[in-house]
Amino acid sequence: MKFSLYLSRVIGFIFHTVLLAVSLGFVSPLWAENRLVQTQYGQIDVPEGIKRVVTLHEGALDAAVALGIEPLGAIATRGGKGVATYLADSVPEITIVGTAREINIEAILALRPDLILASPTMQKRQYNLLSKLAPTIVPAVKLLSKDAWKNNSRVYAQALGKSVELEKILINLDQRITSTKNQLGQEGLTATLVRWTPQGPLLMSPDINSAQILAQVGFQLKGKEAIKAGRPHSDPLSQENLNLINAQWLFLSSVNQDGNKALQTAKLSPAFTRLEAVKNNRVIVVDGQLWTSSSGPLSAKAILDDLQQQVLSTQKPN
Amino acid sequence: MRLLLSLCLLLVMLFASMLIGSGNVPFVDALAALGNQGSETARFVVWELRFSRTLMALVVGVCLAVAGALMQTLTKNPLAEPGLMGVSAGSAFAIGLAILFGAGAADLSVWPAQIGALVGCLLVIWISQTQNLANDPVRLVLTGATLSALLLSSTAIILMLDDRVADEIRFWIMGSVAGRNVNTLYHVMPSLVIAGLIVAVFIRPLASIGLGETVAVGLGHNPNKIRMVIIIAVALLVGAATAVAGPLIFVGLVVPFTARAIAGTDIRRYLWQCLLLGPCLLVFADIICRVIVPPSELPVGVLTTLIGAPVLLFLVHTKRIPRL
Repeated sequence: MKFSLYLSRVIGFIFHTVLLAVSLGFVSPLWAENRLVQTQYGQIDVPEGIKRVVTLHEGALDAAVALGIEPLGAIATRGGKGVATYLADSVPEITIVGTAREINIEAILALRPDLILASPTMQKRQYNLLSKLAPTIVPAVKLLSKDAWKNNSRVYAQALGKSVELEKILINLDQRITSTKNQLGQEGLTATLVRWTPQGPLLMSPDINSAQILAQVGFQLKGKEAIKAGRPHSDPLSQENLNLINAQWLFLSSVNQDGNKALQTAKLSPAFTRLEAVKNNRVIVVDGQLWTSSSGPLSAKAILDDLQQQVLSTQKPN
Repeated sequence: MRLLLSLCLLLVMLFASMLIGSGNVPFVDALAALGNQGSETARFVVWELRFSRTLMALVVGVCLAVAGALMQTLTKNPLAEPGLMGVSAGSAFAIGLAILFGAGAADLSVWPAQIGALVGCLLVIWISQTQNLANDPVRLVLTGATLSALLLSSTAIILMLDDRVADEIRFWIMGSVAGRNVNTLYHVMPSLVIAGLIVAVFIRPLASIGLGETVAVGLGHNPNKIRMVIIIAVALLVGAATAVAGPLIFVGLVVPFTARAIAGTDIRRYLWQCLLLGPCLLVFADIICRVIVPPSELPVGVLTTLIGAPVLLFLVHTKRIPRL
């Protein structure tokens, strides 16, 4: 009796080992090397068959959706209650598990994730906690570095086992950037990216991803000197220093949905109406969630759509 | 003579306020722009930007200083002050409500601010008439501070309800004269005129209340009527100031305190000093705020608090707070 049990275990063990070897042998060209992900907190082994993904970074949600995965949970976009508007329709059933500043560990636990895609800025202490729930991917990418959003997306794609798909998407985006650049046709158009707040305008860093895209399609971004090193944007500028945001094109972002209201408010300020872009009707009102908070391939695509629709249409009469 | 000195000080402040700013308009250019010479940019900065905020600081300074003096005489308490007693907070809370229900901070009407201030005033008076409280200046201030905190945290709740509101209210809560809509000044003018008339007519009866209610009655005044009218004046003044610049604390404390030190405790005398020193303080604080963190600015409320807090501590520390 005991022996037969032992035998069945041995056979079972051999059977499983063979099965494992076979599966490794066949599947490894597709999976195995992709699933060891290099992150800020070491090499993470991501098991196969990921089904329950939680994203704790807007760029991670974007990348996941771009790759055809619907995460169960995500953080809210800056200044909003849900995910960014441009993504909302793709993830109708998503659970909000906090904000970029404060995530709700219990809400994440309740979703029983098998993979967590976190922000590159996640602290070690929080990582330690989350990695007990599921493998947690914290990309070792410096935010505001060149192509940060692409490199972040690559890490998330690797964890999701979809590196090949992502590279295809990135190549398409690069082609789109080149064609937009050709359509604009002019090098060295100056531009600033500004968030208008009641306290005054914040000059956004030329290193955030929307600004990088603007640079790639041929805009020359101004005003870097007003921004303290390592910060994504300046402090609200005083009215007397509004010349710092003076440029041929002004991209005015609003965290509220009603971007045109932000423009109207800004126009109440006499210093604003003196700006070159305002006089020449070259103020482009953009969605702050998309332009100053989100990142990722879908975000890049939506930003290019904005440029196509707004800048190219404005430019034609000239 | 002393009034003349204060007037000179105010003129110097106003002049400096036109010449000093956070931008890169040199002093000499600004001076030229004052005489309508110099570059177009310099003229714009001086006449459009600095002139309007100077005007606002001037008006707000007068309002808060006079309101402070009135409240102090009325409650016979040198610590009674619109900012500390919750009148400004009431006003700010009302503005928060107005913004929540759809008003924009840029084109806000003055009425909600003044109604809020009136409610705040009535609460203060009601509390100050509660038994024993009126006899203890510090306890009255504690009560006022509690009321203030309550109203401010209620405003914070509105802040959490709506992000658009949050952005605009945060701007208000700070208290600033930069980038505010100068048109608000026109809207507050009628109420300032009314408040001015009230003060002109009722300053004698008010002074008699300062001597004690029996004296006031003996002189043929009706203390309750005087109180009501003065409260309305305070609400008009504080509401106007808050609508223009947001809640600013300590201005109504520091200025009458200084004015009394210069001109004695009779409100009929020191109110004149308040009229001059209030704008002095606010314009001075505003100038400092412009130059301290270029190319950004501090909200002026930060600086008035920095100046006012030590004065309050000093007042509280002196063993016997003189009753007014």
